[in-house]
Amino acid sequence: MMGVRLLLHALALCAAGGLLGLAGNSVTPKPAPFGEPVTSTAETPGAMCQIQGLQAAIPRISVEEANPLCVACSALFVDARTAAEYEAGHITGAIHIAPRDAVDPVLWRLGVYRTVVVYDRDPNCSLADQVAKTLLQHGVQDVRVLTGAWPAWTAAGAPGASGTCGLCGSQPAKGSP
Amino acid sequence: MRRAIVLLSRLALGAIFLYAAATKVPDMAAFAKDVANYRMLPAALVPFVTAVVVGIEIVVGLALVTGLWARAAALVAAGMLLAFVAGLSQALLRGIDLRCGCFGGDEAANWWTVLRDLAMLVPALVVLFTPAPGPAREDVELPAHLGRMSTKY
Repeated sequence: MMGVRLLLHALALCAAGGLLGLAGNSVTPKPAPFGEPVTSTAETPGAMCQIQGLQAAIPRISVEEANPLCVACSALFVDARTAAEYEAGHITGAIHIAPRDAVDPVLWRLGVYRTVVVYDRDPNCSLADQVAKTLLQHGVQDVRVLTGAWPAWTAAGAPGASGTCGLCGSQPAKGSP
Repeated sequence: MRRAIVLLSRLALGAIFLYAAATKVPDMAAFAKDVANYRMLPAALVPFVTAVVVGIEIVVGLALVTGLWARAAALVAAGMLLAFVAGLSQALLRGIDLRCGCFGGDEAANWWTVLRDLAMLVPALVVLFTPAPGPAREDVELPAHLGRMSTKY
């Protein structure tokens, strides 16, 4: 008897909570879009990082972790965006490799660095995952994708193209604009 | 002693649920995206489930903190935590790289978050299965003109 009452009370709490959530959603600052399907990032058009198995296979690195690697020149940064975007601004010392670019000409350079950090424009990865996968397939050992991508890098005030990055940018990179 | 443990469990779990809801309310759209990334629900249902989950978190949190229907709230909390564990586990086993969505922000889903949810089951089960001590645990016979009332939860 008590069990039944417990279940009834639990159901009542669920019903009350559900009604509260449904009714209160519209008054929140950024409500969940009722009536609009919300797809996963993997199913969002243009988000190519959801190629099956890709995201999990490639480790991430945060801006906070990557920034010292740039300053210390112990990692090479790879910009996976378009050439025009690279020209407009990129991480200091980064080289440019778009997803369909050949990587053989720059493999020697990648091998010099212990870590290679790939980034793109999309906080949900996409292009960077593709380039990172290509680099891994070409034998580069430690490849990571920058969490939050270029927007997070600039938001953190980390070194951009106009900044300095010591030896990171000392040699012109093949594929760079 | 037992009463203190139950009280502590109830308040802690209630506070956690209220905090979890409070971190999601400012950006329900982002939480909806987090829910969608678990790839367990049809896209059309995601925004509704998102709102319902947050609403239930609030109600359950309030019930646990105030003690009103606390055992029922603990039952719902345990069910939600098991659902979260199942959602996180299936995502991790499928190799989906996603944000947990547990307390807003960008916290990544990993096996630590699964363990954390399992740990939160402990206070929920304590509240659910620990009967109130002493004679108050059973229904109390009141004077005839007041009828019969339960103080069990």
